Amino acid sequence: MKDRTVEVSLANKLGYERVAMACTASFAQMMGFSPERIEDLKTVVAEAAINAMEHGNKGRPDARVTVSMSCQGDTINVTVMDEGDGIKHFPPKPDIEKIIDELESPVGFGLFLINQLADQVEFNQVTDGGHMVKMAIKMIS
Amino acid sequence: MQQHSNEINLEQHGAVTLFNIHGDLTSFSEPFLSEAYQNANTQGADKILLKIDKEAYINSGGIAALIQILAQSKRNNQNIGITGVSDHFKKIFSMVGITKFADIHETVENALEVMS
Repeated sequence: MKDRTVEVSLANKLGYERVAMACTASFAQMMGFSPERIEDLKTVVAEAAINAMEHGNKGRPDARVTVSMSCQGDTINVTVMDEGDGIKHFPPKPDIEKIIDELESPVGFGLFLINQLADQVEFNQVTDGGHMVKMAIKMIS
Repeated sequence: MQQHSNEINLEQHGAVTLFNIHGDLTSFSEPFLSEAYQNANTQGADKILLKIDKEAYINSGGIAALIQILAQSKRNNQNIGITGVSDHFKKIFSMVGITKFADIHETVENALEVMS
């Protein structure tokens, strides 16, 4: 089997990220990833899909989120695509001390976790419309 | 599919108020956690133990909801602990800094012993 790419098209509704999580978990298991790394991958995929639904597609019920995954050597590459125009302003790394003291809002945890758990993350505008986040997760972090 | 509600039962164990949180922790959990916290706080809770389902799905929205409870408990000088979380979410809670404000305990029994 040469092309082992798997693609899932999700309804733009919170909760459907779990379909992508289950799919990527099965894919990673087939590729021999450890349970710990599969949990990291599930969190990365869930948070990217949630961001795509909420911020990329702005909650539009007619929009879709497409998650695709492929394996290259010891790395799983995941792309999450939405129909939006990308992230204009990246939130700063959440500072829990300031959040607890109500000096900052409790936001930005999704992107923070993606950056912490994935080995590589790229945000790209797609030329014919939409926005894509590409993430690479190695078998061993 | 993701649950959009939580059932939270409060139990008193000596000085510790145990929150038995059933269901996933997502952005939908915020009003349920907040209501349970207000009930406990009104009853004079001093020490709070949040017990999360081991199999619960927790996302960034749920983490934000938990942090709001930690913020309120800090303002009210309450000691707060968490139990029931998987190794993965122990790591996540440490990454985001939750463990600076709440101790993670292996079991309810262990937590009650330490917190009492």
